Amino acid sequence: MRPRPPSERDFTSFLRSPAVASRVGLALGICFGLAFLTGLYSHWQQNPDAWFPPPTRPVWGYRLTQGLHVASGTAAIPLLLVKLWTVYPKLFAALPDLRKPRAALLNALERGSIAVLVASGIFMLATGIANSAQWYPWSFTFRLTHYALAWVAIGALVVHIMVKLPLIRGALGADIDSTENDRPGTAHRASGMTRRGLVGTAYAAAAVAVLSTAGATVPLLRKVSVFGVRSGDGPGGIPINRSARAARVTALATAGDYTLVVANGDREVEVDLDRLTSMRRHTYDLPIACVEGWSAQGTWAGPRIRDLMALVDAPEGADVVVRSLQPSGPYTTTLLPGNFAAADNTLLATHLSGERLSIDHGFPCRVIAPNRPGVLQTKWVARLEVRT
Amino acid sequence: MRARVGIGAVGVLVGAYGAYLLLGLGWDNLLAAVYWLAGGVILHDFVLSVALLGVALLVVAVVPARVRGPVVAGLVVLGSVTLLAVPVLGSFGAKADNPTLLDRNYWLGWVVLALLVVLATAVGVVRRLRTPASGPPDPEGTEREPEA
Repeated sequence: MRPRPPSERDFTSFLRSPAVASRVGLALGICFGLAFLTGLYSHWQQNPDAWFPPPTRPVWGYRLTQGLHVASGTAAIPLLLVKLWTVYPKLFAALPDLRKPRAALLNALERGSIAVLVASGIFMLATGIANSAQWYPWSFTFRLTHYALAWVAIGALVVHIMVKLPLIRGALGADIDSTENDRPGTAHRASGMTRRGLVGTAYAAAAVAVLSTAGATVPLLRKVSVFGVRSGDGPGGIPINRSARAARVTALATAGDYTLVVANGDREVEVDLDRLTSMRRHTYDLPIACVEGWSAQGTWAGPRIRDLMALVDAPEGADVVVRSLQPSGPYTTTLLPGNFAAADNTLLATHLSGERLSIDHGFPCRVIAPNRPGVLQTKWVARLEVRT
Repeated sequence: MRARVGIGAVGVLVGAYGAYLLLGLGWDNLLAAVYWLAGGVILHDFVLSVALLGVALLVVAVVPARVRGPVVAGLVVLGSVTLLAVPVLGSFGAKADNPTLLDRNYWLGWVVLALLVVLATAVGVVRRLRTPASGPPDPEGTEREPEA
């Protein structure tokens, strides 16, 4: 027998059926939708020039949405693997008759949209899971590329669902063991694993995926999440994202002549360490919630940003530019929108868990505000100024 | 049908917006992303999927049909979760100056997970063996299937 390339009909498993693909695909689509929406929210949070700033409440808002973002992406990995397995034979489907140009064109478009969907889908999940472990084996810029391809993936997903809608509705409406929607050549019964069993296995794998990782943000799961990127330990009970050494800020932050500068136009007030720590100190329980998906609740204390800005008679509700001692890096300067700067629980924290802030948590002082991504909770603050 | 086409067209626009954003990040960025976009598809379609065909052949040859369900379920759960744990198992992102990152013994965690999956699979297998076979018997015992 001459060897020949595989064809669609070589794949006869009863499980490689639209009945399975549509059910697993539904769960996968929900995960992609949730990851997309929470991703958009995170992008908005990180965009300093948004039309209107995010709300300051609930304080745990970003912790929840970013936790969901990473959890839905993680759950999508087993679902995507099972989904792609069930439709793998379509990769070897016969090419359309080129003498019928309309059909050939439609077929090419459909295959093209699926190629885009599969490529961008795998890209989103692979780069997302690597980013959660701070692993960057690539040279593209992660955040902006992940964001751009999210639109590509979700657009291709909408096209795919619309193309397949009659098949999806037929398959979801029929009994899972019905063979009416199957490809020709599919076996008529299970040999071992059942369809119901495979769909249940995909859901179970997604659940195990979430449980084994979500402890990095859900304290109750800390002991269970064997693959959590953080155990939750760290100085003051809070893990660290970027150390003082990595930010090359240790000498500057521990210098004896450190002073915080608060500015409003030409007006500047220097606040030295003694004055900073003797200002009226407020204490709030606030989460630090990182874009990588981990989070932890801390008891932070320090003067209110509002009280500091009052030293230079900053107008109520003015946006505040926060400058860090860090010599370089993308988050050296951040913007604290007016509603955050005015909030009771937005602090320039000097203490965590009743102790002086450790160097890696941003000594001598850091911003801690409600409902914000961790990267914007600027550490090693040098200067607060009214945005002009 | 018109609604379908309309929503599909919106999908095309949404995807095109993403492509526009991607192109705006510059040529070098695009090229680096294309390696990963194409690499993911190639690794899945021509490495992972082919390897899975091999695994399926092995399972069909070795595991009796009656207990194949729980065995396959165990393999799917452990295999897929292991794949998504690669970044932590390799600790590629670990940093010497930050002991709070990737601060677990992930291989020990994997062993614990694997034991739990094996246990759950074993329970499934035993239950299958204890219940009498149901459904119409397969006279030849072989509805020939080249894959699982």
